[in-house]
Amino acid sequence: MKIMSVDDEPDMELLIRQKFRKKIKSGEYEFVFAENGLEALTKLIEHPDIGIILTDINMPEMDGLTLLTKINELKNPTLKTVIVSAYGDMENIRTAMNRGAFDFATKPIDFEDLEITIKKTIEQVGILQKAEKDSKQLSAIRHDLKIAKEIQQSILPKKFPPFPNRKDFEIYASMNSAKSVGGDFYDFFLINDEMLGFVIADVSDKGIPAAIYMAVSRTIIRAAALTGLSPDKCMEYSNDLLSKENISDMFVTVFYGILNTKTGEIIYSNAGHNPPCILKKDGTVVETELTHDIVLGIMEDAKFKTKNISLKPGDTIYLYTDGVTEAMNKKNELYSEKRLEKELIQYKDSSPQEIINGIISSVEEFTKGAEQSDDITMLTLKYNGN
Amino acid sequence: MEIIEKKADSFVILNLKGRLDTTNYGELEKKIFELLEKKENNIIIDCEKLDYISSSGLRILLMGLKKFKANKGKFVLCDLQENIKEIFEISGFSSIFDIYESQDEALKA
Repeated sequence: MKIMSVDDEPDMELLIRQKFRKKIKSGEYEFVFAENGLEALTKLIEHPDIGIILTDINMPEMDGLTLLTKINELKNPTLKTVIVSAYGDMENIRTAMNRGAFDFATKPIDFEDLEITIKKTIEQVGILQKAEKDSKQLSAIRHDLKIAKEIQQSILPKKFPPFPNRKDFEIYASMNSAKSVGGDFYDFFLINDEMLGFVIADVSDKGIPAAIYMAVSRTIIRAAALTGLSPDKCMEYSNDLLSKENISDMFVTVFYGILNTKTGEIIYSNAGHNPPCILKKDGTVVETELTHDIVLGIMEDAKFKTKNISLKPGDTIYLYTDGVTEAMNKKNELYSEKRLEKELIQYKDSSPQEIINGIISSVEEFTKGAEQSDDITMLTLKYNGN
Repeated sequence: MEIIEKKADSFVILNLKGRLDTTNYGELEKKIFELLEKKENNIIIDCEKLDYISSSGLRILLMGLKKFKANKGKFVLCDLQENIKEIFEISGFSSIFDIYESQDEALKA
């Protein structure tokens, strides 16, 4: 602990060095000396790690009470002042205490008593320093979380329209995390000129662990998909990799589809994800059939299946995570598939972006005043034909 | 969520009541670890009063299944409400869990 003694009596330094020589030698205490308030302030700048100031009151240049006022202005909670003054000076000592001095000792100094005072002050400063360190750490973690969120958002495709020269389909997607980082993701990519891959997924957790898992799964799935694997093979490959690495029983539900942009045919696998809906041009909404495949990441060597569904020009496939249908209002009611379907019907002539914005406002309206508990992610793909 | 624990034969039955989701899955996790420590071997999760399960909840059940199976024990579910059944169907979890219609059936198994 670094301690500064401020006193205009020239033998004070000698006295302290002698009385505390053991503690100084062992490194427990380190002393800095100043002869008045002004010098003390200069020393405080040179030694920002000073934790305790022992100060006299009556000194030339700047007295102890003024020094105390200046120290208060520094607003450093881990810097404590102990007043050391003559017993007869009680009035000034009281003033000092009222101005925020931590404690006082009287002159002539009883060094045993001063040592107890110093010890007590060190304990207090220690607690405060720890609290300050913790709070700094906390804000560092917050900062990391913010960066994690930025990284996570930056790996999701966010430029819309993503393929401005393609008129045969339109695509839009969005993700809103409940916590600062989430476990949902979406993705889409052209495998070749007439095969558009699209993915929506939900990791079984939130926060940093889910974000890491999300980044890994998204990378694996995309890499496998871009080699041109069919959805079932892509799921099998990704599942094996994720299952091998899985340590905390996390898993991810994934819907992966490939749209043939020439024919409107979609081939897909659904690994435990909410079945996407098809919003038809005529205003009907149908759920895509399940392929009854297991979520990725928990069972190595699992086999996956594919199914087909056909889009006519003007039809839209709407993919979402359960953050939409399980959004809860203040009355603990869920948004539900029923409400979603009803809402979707209104958007039969809308663009993918209008659909997503519409559902977002509808969910917001529904949950007004309640806290968002899950990530809300959607992807819409409209087939226009050639 | 509420967890009510009772013993029947060689089984510990956990009755889950309410919602099992991100806000409370830790309670069930803690309970499962407790039972593992007590060297309990056979667990029935009775879902009759379970209204909702999120993916975090599924994850904890999966963890329980793995841990008890590793000890050659049983970790089975019974009496799932329709919406919970549907979640198990969609997620493919119905193929890895032993699920029974009622507690009696689960006890006989």
